Amino acid sequence: MYRYDEFDHAFVSSRVEQFRDQVGRRLAGELAEDAFKPLRLMNGVYLQLHAYMLRVAIPYGTLNGKQMRMLAHIARKYDRGYGHFTTRQNIQYNWPKLSDTPDILAELASVEMHALQTSGNCIRNVTADHFAGAAADEVADPRPYAEILRQWSSVHPEFSFLPRKFKIAVTGAERDRAAIQVHDIGLHLKKNEEGEIGFAVYVGGGQGRTPMIAKKIKDFLPEEDLLSYTTAIMRVYNLHGRRDNKYKARIKILVHETGAEELARQVEEEFSHLQGTELKLPDADIQAIAAYFAPPALADRAEGWPQLAGWKKQDEAFARWVDQNVKPHKHPDYGMVTISLKPIGGIPGDASDVQMDAIADLAEEFAFDEIRISHEQNVILPHVALADLEPLYRALVAQNLATANAGLITDIIACPGLDYCALANARSIPLAQEISSRFGAAERQAEIGELKIKISGCINACGHHHVGHIGLLGVEKKGAELYQITLGGSGDENTSIGEIIGRGFEPNKVTDAVETIVDTYLGLRTSNEETFLEAYRRVGPQPFKEALYGDAKAEAA
Amino acid sequence: MTRIWRETGFVENDPWVIETEEVKATEDQKPLLPLDEMIARAEESNDVGLGVLIRPADDVRKLEPYLYRIEIVAVDFPAFNDGRAFSHASLLRDRLGYRNELRAVGDVLIDQVPLMLRCGIDSFSVKNATALKRLEEGRLPGIAEHYQPTARHAEKGEGYSWRRRTVTA
Repeated sequence: MYRYDEFDHAFVSSRVEQFRDQVGRRLAGELAEDAFKPLRLMNGVYLQLHAYMLRVAIPYGTLNGKQMRMLAHIARKYDRGYGHFTTRQNIQYNWPKLSDTPDILAELASVEMHALQTSGNCIRNVTADHFAGAAADEVADPRPYAEILRQWSSVHPEFSFLPRKFKIAVTGAERDRAAIQVHDIGLHLKKNEEGEIGFAVYVGGGQGRTPMIAKKIKDFLPEEDLLSYTTAIMRVYNLHGRRDNKYKARIKILVHETGAEELARQVEEEFSHLQGTELKLPDADIQAIAAYFAPPALADRAEGWPQLAGWKKQDEAFARWVDQNVKPHKHPDYGMVTISLKPIGGIPGDASDVQMDAIADLAEEFAFDEIRISHEQNVILPHVALADLEPLYRALVAQNLATANAGLITDIIACPGLDYCALANARSIPLAQEISSRFGAAERQAEIGELKIKISGCINACGHHHVGHIGLLGVEKKGAELYQITLGGSGDENTSIGEIIGRGFEPNKVTDAVETIVDTYLGLRTSNEETFLEAYRRVGPQPFKEALYGDAKAEAA
Repeated sequence: MTRIWRETGFVENDPWVIETEEVKATEDQKPLLPLDEMIARAEESNDVGLGVLIRPADDVRKLEPYLYRIEIVAVDFPAFNDGRAFSHASLLRDRLGYRNELRAVGDVLIDQVPLMLRCGIDSFSVKNATALKRLEEGRLPGIAEHYQPTARHAEKGEGYSWRRRTVTA
């Protein structure tokens, strides 16, 4: 992974001291809250319902054991003993004191971490495939490019006061595990016919109150032009994105109102001036960054195959965990392990300080000190020998971290909701817990198969409900919470926005409604090979409407 | 009270005025003309030493044919969080090669001044009390390390890590 040099250390320290000065002026009353707000946001500090919240960046979701231990330490020393991993591969703390935040940032800097641009109307933490560098289907590792973008976008003087926030995601495989089509810029690493590396460039995707799938504006951008082309997009957006209405300020609205073709033309025009300037990335420079991300030397461990077969035969729960949470690695003797942060009935994405410390230890012992955070709010150990799976599993069981549900119905994404968030209309966490408990039996989950439930407590869609196979959106109607259900959303290479199925459900009815949907699917699938999403795409909403509302009511809705 | 600050210090008797219904340039002052008026004036005359005010929605590239006749360009920040003038400044310096005075006007706050400087703005019309105080004390809240090329070169070298390594390799 990337290692800071002196320059990076100096930069992050300067930034901490700059923020300490700003906090000092704020506390002394020399800086008004409205002017302080964008400054604290660009340092990761939000003001939430009950307290300040600090969102710490985990660039492209990659960290090591030492850094994970620091996250545990911060949870213990400055918060209430836990942190919440987010859908943008970051972690947030819900109870820090404003006056402590400069010290927290200084502690983070000591392990090469920061909270830069995790909020605010700037270029946010760049995200990438959580299986980067390990997945068997990868064309190239997306992280070197994400790191180049991270550095280039850090305190960018031209792009720190954009019309609205700006999110970039990079994927390195045909299978999109970074949801690039619902980002402001989505970059898909690929090779052209000559075998050269470049990107398909998507712009204008996003969720929120106006969900849109990104448009491809460039089929193949050579890697050396990454920063010049990105600068061109940013400049067109900074100058022309709407600033009259914050709900229409994202680049997706500009793309929609301008038209993708015209926007692509404007970007090309700007790019024609920027191409070949100082922003050009020569191959040697890219290689210098890529070298940081060289995979660990993986020795052959073929003894793992028979061992694994034996362990699986002896222990059904272990077998289930391996089948569900371990995916094939580039190296046949290794696997990519998902540590589920979705215990049955638990809070999605939360981890205690003790759990974080345990994950750090296990990463060092079994996984070459590499940890990832996935946008699905789980932790990944990307390189684990099959021969080490059993002891790893035992240690995870002891920490309540071995739930065998990756990709299943209880692997729910949920935003913090009305329990924490100042924007929310409805609670998300208790609903996630109720659904998780209802479907928690291992056999039942296995029978249902792959099914992604995503829950947002308001229209801002932080829980990604638009791309949930089943999406649940909390709304407020006449002072009461109500949940709207969408079906058929997906955030992969075949991205789709879920369709609203009908009128909403009261909090005490919504889990029943989810169960009705699941039972309807089980009744109509062609075989247990046909996933929920495939079945929905085949039959459409009608059978689900009928099951939920009955014939007549469905039409009225 | 509004004062003009440059890195050499505060400027007294600055002649440039943004005209309104009530305020007009006096004999010994000069107007910062709106873009269209400046272009009309330039087309109708051989005047040099012009001043122009770029509003956020203006296309700054329209200035290109007239730049050699312009003494000052003012870019407007109607609110501190309207960042369009950062791009105007970058285009003026990097694309159009404008070298004369480039002034930030409007809601100019101390925490934005370092970013403005990096985009090539070298003159500031300041009324915020904290900003004035900090500028008087010579305490800018910027950071010296930069990760991207901009109109103004970084004090501590160019900051892409890939570029640094190329240099040391």
